Amino acid sequence: MPQLLPDISTKLDHILAGLPVLLPEMVLTVTFLVSIGTGLFVDRWWKQGTFAVTVAGIILAGGYSILQLSQPTASDLLFGMLEADAFGRYTRVLTAAVCLLFVLFVHANQGFKAHPKKTADLYSILLAVHIGLNLMGMATSWLMVFVSIEMVSIGSYLMVGYLAKEARQTEAAMKYVLFGSVCSAVMLYGLSFLYGFTGNLDFTSAAHIQGLAATAPLLTAMALLFVFTGIGFKLSFVPFHFWTPDVYQGAPTPVTAFLSTAPKIAGVALLARILYAWPVESLAYQYLHTLILVSAIVTMLLGNLAALRQTYVKRMMAYSSIGHTGFLMMAVLAYSAGEYGVLLFYLSVYSLMNMGVFLFADYIESRTGATDVSEYNGLGPAMPVAFVGFVLLLISLTGIPPTSGFVAKLLVFTAVFGNWQLTGNPGMIILLIVGALTTVISLFYYFKIPLNAFLRKQEGSVDIRPTQSYLVLIATLTVLAVLLLGIFPDWLVGTFQK
Amino acid sequence: MIPLTHFLVVGACLFAIGLYAVLARRNAILVLVGIELMINAAILNLVAFGRYDKTMYGGQVFALFAIVLAAAAVAVALAIILNVYKFYRSVNPEDIKNLKD
Repeated sequence: MPQLLPDISTKLDHILAGLPVLLPEMVLTVTFLVSIGTGLFVDRWWKQGTFAVTVAGIILAGGYSILQLSQPTASDLLFGMLEADAFGRYTRVLTAAVCLLFVLFVHANQGFKAHPKKTADLYSILLAVHIGLNLMGMATSWLMVFVSIEMVSIGSYLMVGYLAKEARQTEAAMKYVLFGSVCSAVMLYGLSFLYGFTGNLDFTSAAHIQGLAATAPLLTAMALLFVFTGIGFKLSFVPFHFWTPDVYQGAPTPVTAFLSTAPKIAGVALLARILYAWPVESLAYQYLHTLILVSAIVTMLLGNLAALRQTYVKRMMAYSSIGHTGFLMMAVLAYSAGEYGVLLFYLSVYSLMNMGVFLFADYIESRTGATDVSEYNGLGPAMPVAFVGFVLLLISLTGIPPTSGFVAKLLVFTAVFGNWQLTGNPGMIILLIVGALTTVISLFYYFKIPLNAFLRKQEGSVDIRPTQSYLVLIATLTVLAVLLLGIFPDWLVGTFQK
Repeated sequence: MIPLTHFLVVGACLFAIGLYAVLARRNAILVLVGIELMINAAILNLVAFGRYDKTMYGGQVFALFAIVLAAAAVAVALAIILNVYKFYRSVNPEDIKNLKD
């Protein structure tokens, strides 16, 4: 046992020096504790108490994250647990934005409003998940990777099962929790081997890289494959995507919107951080690179082809989000150290589009009860604002100009092509071809919605209920943002490349 | 002193038994038991490797975190399975298939 007492003051100083960088997370922790208190005591007198506290906390934490954007990279925080570089700081801001949208979405949702247990606990869970997501985007130690993934996962299981109002919702939650726990157990087993090979938990450290290089290639490959399982579950790429369609279909719509965006932002950041922490010529890098390449190709193909057969809107969007995950992985491969602008732009645009689509789907469901594409027949002229916005978002998801989805895809394709010219890796050209091909395939299922809504007639009269919610307002704002970023992409790209 | 290999072999056996329990899918509770076995295999590995890490004790700390998180995940999973039972009157994953392609 080494003597720890003599240098305990230097260790404490090291911890204290890192704390200012973690100010947003500390704000969120305080908000989390306060939100539990308000949920128990304040909500009885003031129904919006927890909602107000949550919104204030997320905005405050997001504000601090924005203020920290221009600061230099702070590495080796808390003894090599975290690294706050520019990329990590941007993902923090992006996560805060998505969480804020989610809170507003829940607040306006009919199902959650009518729920007897109220939504106070959901807001507390969300704040804890938000902390986990922030840490996941900055983690450099396997311990922090595991803890943050579990924080996000456990919170997500609770969110999916929160309403438990009908059989399908509980089924989705059960599938999610069982599949997720198996994946994290496999990941933990892989991590234990990586630790054993290197004697070190910090995957950016020199000792870790040397340790991996000194291990038999087959063993490294096996351990990395196990770790890949855990990240794959969070990102839902093939072959760890089985839970996605069922969970997205069964979960309450706001939760589906959240699951299809926020964990992907943090997961992609984590994947990129692990991949680029290792030198290009090392075996571990090449192995991981090949794994990501192959699963990106299969993910894009399978996600888009399976979506063709779907008619249930949320299930179709689940497969579409699997397809987009393939695209995100392609963006990870194209990203070379320092040029994270393309990846961040794709992530921001993707989050906006997906949030918007689910907002519209929920709005339409709350007014007409339609959840299947065939039930959308003739609804277009009856609800023009909602459906025009919906179709614009679908156009953007396909990647047709003048929307920001087009710019995002164009930037990724350009980056992949540039990478191929630089390295001559034939895999990059295959990625490019598959990416273009699946964009065409996606056109067929996205356009089922405008086809049914505008060109087909409904038998009998359409029953449209009046509603008092501001869902359609937020959704329209996301459409505006998507269109504006399509015409002026420099607003975001310029910021990211500073 | 027991050599490291013995720990790893026991860990691998635990992991394999756990994986079998998960794949057999007889009962949701048994799947949870399988998951727990897999996590314990990993924890055993971490602690065994941690013996050789005399400076930071990373493996031991990791094991503690893993135990706590596994307990939290199991608590959530049991609550969810209880909800499933209320609707389906069964916890056999084979019977619960409203959601599928």
